[in-house]
Amino acid sequence: MAISSSSLLLLLIIPSLDWLPSPASAFLIDRDHMASPAPSEPHFTECISRDLETFRCWWSPGIYHNLSSPGALRVFYRKKDPATSGWKECPEYVHSNRECFFDVNHTSIWIPYCMQLRSENTTYDDGCFTVENIVRPDPPVSLNWTLLNISPSWLSYDVMVNWEPPPSADIGAGWMRIEYEIQYRERNSTKWEALDVQPHPQRTIFGLHIGKEYEVHIRCRMPAFIKFGEFSDSIFIQVTDVPVQESTVPFTLVLVFGIVGVLILLMLIALSQQHRLMMVLLPPVPAPKIKGIDSELLKKGKLDELNFILTGGGMGGLPTYAPDFYQDEPWVEFIEVDAENADGEEKGDSRGSDTQKLLGVPQSISHHMNVGCSNNVSFPDDDSGQARCYNPDVPERDTLMLMATLLPGQPEDEEASFDVTEGAPALDGGERSLVQTQTPGPQTWVNTDFYAQVSNVMPSGGVVLSPGQQLRIQEGTSATEEERQRKGKDSEDQEKQKELQFQLVVVDPEGNGYNPESSVRQISTPLPGDGYQAIHPQPVETKPAALTEDNQSPYIIPDSPQSTFFAPVADYTVVQELDSHHSVLLNPPPRQSPPPSLPQHPSKAALPVGYITPDLLGNFSP
Amino acid sequence: MDAVPLCTNFQGGCHVLSLANLFDRVIQHSARMHGISNDLHSEFELYFLPKSQIGRVTRNCHTSNILTPNGKENAQRMARSDLTEVILKLLVAWRDPLWHFHQSMAHHHDFNNFSTNKSLEMSDMVHELRKGVQKVVEKMQMLGIISDSVSNMASPEARLASHSNGWRIMKDYDLLYCFRRDSNKVQNYLKILKCRIVPENGC
Repeated sequence: MAISSSSLLLLLIIPSLDWLPSPASAFLIDRDHMASPAPSEPHFTECISRDLETFRCWWSPGIYHNLSSPGALRVFYRKKDPATSGWKECPEYVHSNRECFFDVNHTSIWIPYCMQLRSENTTYDDGCFTVENIVRPDPPVSLNWTLLNISPSWLSYDVMVNWEPPPSADIGAGWMRIEYEIQYRERNSTKWEALDVQPHPQRTIFGLHIGKEYEVHIRCRMPAFIKFGEFSDSIFIQVTDVPVQESTVPFTLVLVFGIVGVLILLMLIALSQQHRLMMVLLPPVPAPKIKGIDSELLKKGKLDELNFILTGGGMGGLPTYAPDFYQDEPWVEFIEVDAENADGEEKGDSRGSDTQKLLGVPQSISHHMNVGCSNNVSFPDDDSGQARCYNPDVPERDTLMLMATLLPGQPEDEEASFDVTEGAPALDGGERSLVQTQTPGPQTWVNTDFYAQVSNVMPSGGVVLSPGQQLRIQEGTSATEEERQRKGKDSEDQEKQKELQFQLVVVDPEGNGYNPESSVRQISTPLPGDGYQAIHPQPVETKPAALTEDNQSPYIIPDSPQSTFFAPVADYTVVQELDSHHSVLLNPPPRQSPPPSLPQHPSKAALPVGYITPDLLGNFSP
Repeated sequence: MDAVPLCTNFQGGCHVLSLANLFDRVIQHSARMHGISNDLHSEFELYFLPKSQIGRVTRNCHTSNILTPNGKENAQRMARSDLTEVILKLLVAWRDPLWHFHQSMAHHHDFNNFSTNKSLEMSDMVHELRKGVQKVVEKMQMLGIISDSVSNMASPEARLASHSNGWRIMKDYDLLYCFRRDSNKVQNYLKILKCRIVPENGC
């Protein structure tokens, strides 16, 4: 076959179907967009088969109105079947439609048909076709749709449309196969959206918008053929706004995220303020701390090392540059007693004794009280059990009061510096009298139990320390009441009270400041100015070595050794001194009647500094 | 011929297809073949055919002498073995003409590669489809659905059709037209057979 050059040009051009049709081409080409004008002569308009078993042809008279009457135009056909020949007339006319109907018996597939439209004399139109090429299936039936899902943004949704094949198409026998084309559009739009042709009787439409109404229709076609059937009736799809019940989902999400964010924030705050929180929640518990001494030594069984350190260990006491063991505990406070004052003391002179200092008695407190803190930070915490870091010049009254009542005072020598008037404005005269345990005179001192059991609390605020000293206290109480009336006036009273002095545990870094008398065995006080020691008292029998070091006893002997009072042993008894036989003296015997069992030092009575553990109580004899 | 499946003695090592499955494969194949023939025919009609010749079949197809049922009822009334034989005859008759058509198209550089590939594919498909239908026939004969008398080259009509040179003088357009029609016949016949014998899996 010759390929003309014009065909070559056609190869480069995308063909359009809008070319002038030949008269009989109505049967052959699918012209949905036929724009050609209808011919004026009588012609066949269309021949269509719906089910591949029958077909119909329609004609039009055109402008020849005289031929419009039935029977004026006649249809003849010829099958190009070898068996048959000749033209036959239309087997069945439907004149109302100008239609020629070929039933099953007259329809043959795959055999070309040629049609002719004739009037009496002339043939106006003819054309040939095969039946399978003019098939236009009926539209599908029973269209309906179901909602598949809605997008999370509540703006679009998906829909499944399903239908059934046309009943006229015999799909069950396999004679016809059908594929579908679905088209949809918005209600007010003019342009249809067409989805791809496919043979299944359902289809999903994606991305429809909420609130808009859509129109959907479907048409059918035989696969690999051109001509589509008519569109089905339209169905309408619309999804309006769904009630708000689903909107709880984003709300719960917001809530969850908010809670998580707050938790993270709290964790961050807790992490950043860890130390402060720990301080607030778990305040540090005070433990005995001696400056310069590792707290490990204060435990049981290490008295040897401790004594070694306290006595200087060959180096003369604790070095002033004692290592700081409590660096990580800024709240640790050490009570220090000024070492200089201790040196300046005369023998027996308890000026600036620790008791005085603690109690805030006269200027000794103001001058010598040297409450030191391990660092500059001071926590004014009443529960800490430590002495507060306060201004020594202005001792607090209630603290002094309490201390005064707790500690039965030990009068001192008259020589004791007892400048009451100086620097102790807050002190009440009555306080003095409380602690006044002794009539003026030769210096006497009583058993000042360092630790005494509080047996009763007076309504006035005084404290009854122990049965043995109750009398004393009561005396002091009555005196206090009298004195209070004359508060702050009498120098006489002050003079009386001059004599009173309290002696506390001597703290001597050198161990020899207070008591120059070497005969007096002293308790070595190792700390440079510290007041308390928690020396675990060792059984005398087992640890004689510690005691004999430097010829000092582990007890502190007050400066004013005379004791006139002998109080019965309280529940808490302080070990006063050790005799030469290394037996423990609980109370220094009074001068008048020294109990023979207790060989006492004539001038000294030791004030204990330590405390007794229950297992050591048996070692002491009253 | 006694067609015995090769893997009857194996256990689980051979996947034996069911007749319905075989039919489905063959029908899909024939549908594709018909689609390709339709495409080629349309392209030819659009690009290379003068408008005056559209729809005018000047010659009969070379397969016109094969008696084929021309309607649904005729096809349904026909015996299965006869219908199967018709299918095979048609497929046999088109093997050579399509091969030569492809050769002629390849030599004409005017045709683009797309059309040339399609003609080659069409030619191959006829060959494959014939073998597939042969398998179906063997399966049916094994199952006793049809008689054993069916063979692909037995009838004189088939031999005549395959050896006739009537197709050599056919024009390309007529060849395409005829093949498009015959492939549609094959497709329909196969579908009718399937829905008559094994109607499951969609009919």
